[in-house]
Order: sequence, then structure tokens, then C-alpha cells
Amino acid sequence: MPRRLLLLLVFPCALALGGLLATPPPARAQAVDVFLNVMAGGSKKLNIAIPEFTLVAGRDAQGLAKRIPDVAGADLKYSALFSVVSGSPPLPATNGETLKQMLTEFAASGAHAALHGLLTLKGDRAEAEVRLYDLTNPEQRLIATKRFELRAADGRRLAHKIADEVVYQFTGEPGIADTKIALVCGGGQSKELYTMDYDGAGRQQLTGNDSINLSPAWSPDARSLAFTSYMRGYPYLYRLFAFERRPIQLLAGFLGINTSPAWSPDGRHVALTLSKDGTPELYVLDVATGAVRRLTRHPAIDTEPTWSPTGRAIAFVSDRAGTAQIFVMDAEGANVRQLTTVGFNTQPRWSPKGDAIAYTSRQGGHDIWAIGPDGSNARRLTAGPGSNESASWAANGRHVVFQSNRLGGWQLLTMLADGSEQQPLTRGGGECTSPAWSPRLP
Amino acid sequence: MLYRRWQLLPIVPVLVLALFLMGCPKRPATTSAAAPAPGAPAPGAPGAGPAGVMAGPGAPGVPGTPAPGAPGAAAVTPARPPAPREFTAIATLQDIHFDFDKYDIRPGDAKTLDENAKWMKANPNHLILIEGHCDERGTNEYNLALGERRAKATMNYLVAQGVQATRVTLISYGEERPLCAEKNEACWAKNRRAHFLVKAR
Repeated sequence: MPRRLLLLLVFPCALALGGLLATPPPARAQAVDVFLNVMAGGSKKLNIAIPEFTLVAGRDAQGLAKRIPDVAGADLKYSALFSVVSGSPPLPATNGETLKQMLTEFAASGAHAALHGLLTLKGDRAEAEVRLYDLTNPEQRLIATKRFELRAADGRRLAHKIADEVVYQFTGEPGIADTKIALVCGGGQSKELYTMDYDGAGRQQLTGNDSINLSPAWSPDARSLAFTSYMRGYPYLYRLFAFERRPIQLLAGFLGINTSPAWSPDGRHVALTLSKDGTPELYVLDVATGAVRRLTRHPAIDTEPTWSPTGRAIAFVSDRAGTAQIFVMDAEGANVRQLTTVGFNTQPRWSPKGDAIAYTSRQGGHDIWAIGPDGSNARRLTAGPGSNESASWAANGRHVVFQSNRLGGWQLLTMLADGSEQQPLTRGGGECTSPAWSPRLP
Repeated sequence: MLYRRWQLLPIVPVLVLALFLMGCPKRPATTSAAAPAPGAPAPGAPGAGPAGVMAGPGAPGVPGTPAPGAPGAAAVTPARPPAPREFTAIATLQDIHFDFDKYDIRPGDAKTLDENAKWMKANPNHLILIEGHCDERGTNEYNLALGERRAKATMNYLVAQGVQATRVTLISYGEERPLCAEKNEACWAKNRRAHFLVKAR
């Protein structure tokens, strides 16, 4: 720890690095549910040049030398931390005068940094060595060199990993490009689960049972999803492994509803709504044993739990005050506090940084709001058009995906956590709702 | 903030080096975990557990294996209700409707329930399924709970009229099975309903 302290003294960015060293934070040691938000408040964007990658060996049948920098550049733009200069021809593979001269030209045109990729294709594998240069001083210092290797068919993922590394080098926290978004698409009599990359590419169908599948929730290891399905007739809770050929597991099949799953941060428990004892109440399910523990005892509706990132508190929805409102309680069910009072408020989602709870508020139309876990600073993030619902946070707490019918049918959009930069994520392909943004992939 | 860090950038390599030297936990630079396409839908529910028996969740890491003696097994209801598709609607049993975001029985609907209760008591060898439904306003998960409350309030009324509780099964469809697709109050009012189906024992 003394070394970490030294880092803290040396450089503000080390705060973030120090945080990274200490991850995962000991949940019990956290006094409050607020983690350091290293990315907040960035005002000026860093301008990075990303020329085409240099093909070192192999035959580039898929045009990866151009596609990888394009995708990584789009990721960095999306992060809202970078502006990107792309499209210039590849740099020479070896360090020399030509390289130096080209970097100097990037600097002269306003780039603060340059990303140089060296691509090797061998069989079905693609390896990229990326070099990150600081162009704000004449030495054009090499900041970092990293190697990434994947199947060539996973070129987009390779690009996402490179972009996440660049974000890490400059902010101390990896980006969120290498993540997935689960969603529910369909209409009429069936709704099925899908996943896609965070940027909407590569949509894949996960269920095909011709019934209603709802409320996907990622486990913290980003391997599985809990969801509600009517596949056996009644609304039971299941778990499917998104990237593995494993059978779907039944998590809860009690009489009544088995809905609204939310994984505890340690992945050992799922909070959910059951009505087996009368009215819809919150329970915590032990995933390993199947044991359930009841959290709420109230004749009103209690549903839609969401854990604080420390696992010590749970926010939820209850109509015990007359209309649906957001409440917070200890993870054991005690110490219930009401957070919202105006309108009809549902779909609470605790930010992975701990400092905000997004929710859907109906005051006329539906819009996404956020509020502090102590009930302070309630703020509106969307203001129409149409209905805007079902927010889900990216792992860095900086981006939010949500559903909106502003363009007609239900589609997904994303925005920054302050409501800016609202942009469509899905288009066409049926109506899609209920996005769940995955944690960073393993 | 970012820009200020950038000006201090020359220190970054030092820090990165320091991290390497300290042997800090690093994310792997490469991965072979290519995500296999779950092309075919994952094996459906049948097979995940013994048919007709609601087993507890599978033991972790052992797909499809019922947790032996898990408390989950205790959660298994002794008598499983028949599947919803085994029930059929009959004209005699009329739907009742609810006010927006409410689950109490309105006086007019109570009369309908009285009639329904009469039929149910006169036909004791029929099981009853009560569906609870919502309009599309509100959000999916909340509406699942709301539909459940509507079905439950309906059941409570019927039981108070002398219908045996053990004959009645509830299912909430939330907003997932609307009768009417238009976006106006007349249509929404039709969708906020409790619907009845029966099955001979």
C-alpha cells in the first residue's frame, strides 16, 4: 500500500490507477455506495490519429487493416472522450525517419496522440500489436505497446478491445466497447431474447421458445442472463448462458409470478419478485442452493429490485404510498426509505458507480430520470419525444441504454449519463425493448 | 480534466511501468474466448428438469441437475396447476375490468363476479384459471405485479362468495396479452381486465 500512496502523490491519474489496483473493492469496507468517478467532468476531447493498420504478415482477405481502426475509432468517438482523425494510410512498420515524419504531421494537424497498429494474420487468427504515441512533445514518446489476438472472424471484438485499452491508458479505467447488450424483440404472441455488441452489431437470438421472454439481467461475470419466461406456461425465472452450449436452468418456479431478476454484485444471489406468499414481495434467491429469503412484508406491490454496487442496499418499486414510487432498503430488508414522491416511478437501476439511481417517471409521458441514493438531485435525463423507459447503465456509469418509441415502434437508444448525446442504437428488425447492458466481458 | 492529464502524459509510461513492476492484476491482452454463436436456441425448458415437476435450480456448474435436497425443492408446490393451455374460456364467465393502476373490484364488476361465482359453485368439478392483465402504459415488470394483484383481488372476491380457493389458479400476463391494440382510453380500458378460463378435473 505505501507504493500505491506514492502513486497518489505523484499524479492525479494515479487515483484511478490506484482504484484499479484495489479492485474489486472490499464491499464490506466501503463506507458509502459512491465510488470514485474518474471519468466525470472531462470537458476537452483528446484528439487521436488512427491511421490504417500496417499489415506485417498474412493475407488480409477481410480488410481488417482498415476495419479495425475504423471500429476502434468509432468506439473512441462514442466514448465522448476523444475526437478521432482516421483514414490516413498505414505507417511504416519499423521505427524510423518516415514514421517520425508522419507522426510529426499528425501533431501539426492537431493530434495529441496516435494509435499505430501492426497486424499479423495467420490461419484463422489475427494478432494486432498496437503502439500508442504521445504527440504533445517533440520526442513522440511511446506511451504503451499492447498485443491482442483473436480469431480473424472476431475483428470487431479485437477493435473494441484496442479501444478499451486506449481509454484505459488515458483515464485509468478501461472503456466499455467490449460489452454486450441483451434485449427483448418481437411482438404479437412471442417475445424472444437477443444479444448484440454494445454498438448494435452482431445481433444473435438467445431464446426461440415462441412464448413471452422478459427482463434479461446479466450476471456480474457477464456469462449468463436471468430472465422471466412463459415457456412452461407460467412466468418462471430462468438462467441461460449466453455464450455457452448449456441448458437453460430454472431459477424459480413458484406459484404466482417469478419476475424482475437482479443479480447481487457478488453473483451469488438474485433478488426477485415472488407472489407465492400472497402479494408481490421481494425475495433474495441463493443461486447455488435455490433457497429464498423474504425481504419485504407489505400488502402493497413490491417489485423491481436493483442492488447498490456494494451489495449493501437494494432499491425497489412499491405502491405502498398510493402510487408506484422508488424506495431503498438495506439488503436485509430493513430501514426502508422513500426516494421519490412525484409522479409514477418504476424501473430503478442503480449505477455501477453507486452515485445515482436511474428510473422511469410518468408525469404525462414516460421519461428517464436519475436521483441520488439519498433522494437528492432528482434530474430528468430525457424529455420526450414519445415514451422513454427501461434504462440500463454501462459498466463505467457514463452511458445509458434505454427504450423509446419516439420514432414509432419501440427501439433502443443510448445517451450519456447526463442525458446528452441521445442516439439510436437499433433500427427496424421488429420492436425491441428491455435493454440490459452487460458488465465488461471476461 | 482530461486535458490536464494529457499535459502530464510523459509520466504515464512511468506509471505503466510501475504497474508492471508491481505485478498488478492486469487484464489479459489476448483471449481465446471466442464467443460461440448460440445459433440454435438453447435447449428449451423441457429437459431442464423432470417433466411436470418443478425441481429446484440446477446445482451450480452441473447443468440440469436438480440440487439434491436443496431448499429450492422445498419451494416446490405440492400440487402443480395444469398448464394454462389446458384451460378454455366459456361464454358464461364474463371478464371484469379495472381502473387505471388499480386492483380493487369496482361495484359493477362485483355483480359480474357474483354471476361468475354462481356458475363456479354450480360446477364444482371445474378448475378455474384467472388471468390478470394491464394496459400498455406503465412498465413491463410493474405491470406483471399489477396483473397478479388484479387476479388475486378477483380470486379473493370469488372465495368470499364461497368458491373453493384450491380450485383457483392465477396467472399474470402484465401488459403482454392485450385484447385491443389501439392507443386510446377505450382500448386501454378493455385491456385492464381479469379473464376466466376453466378445465374439467
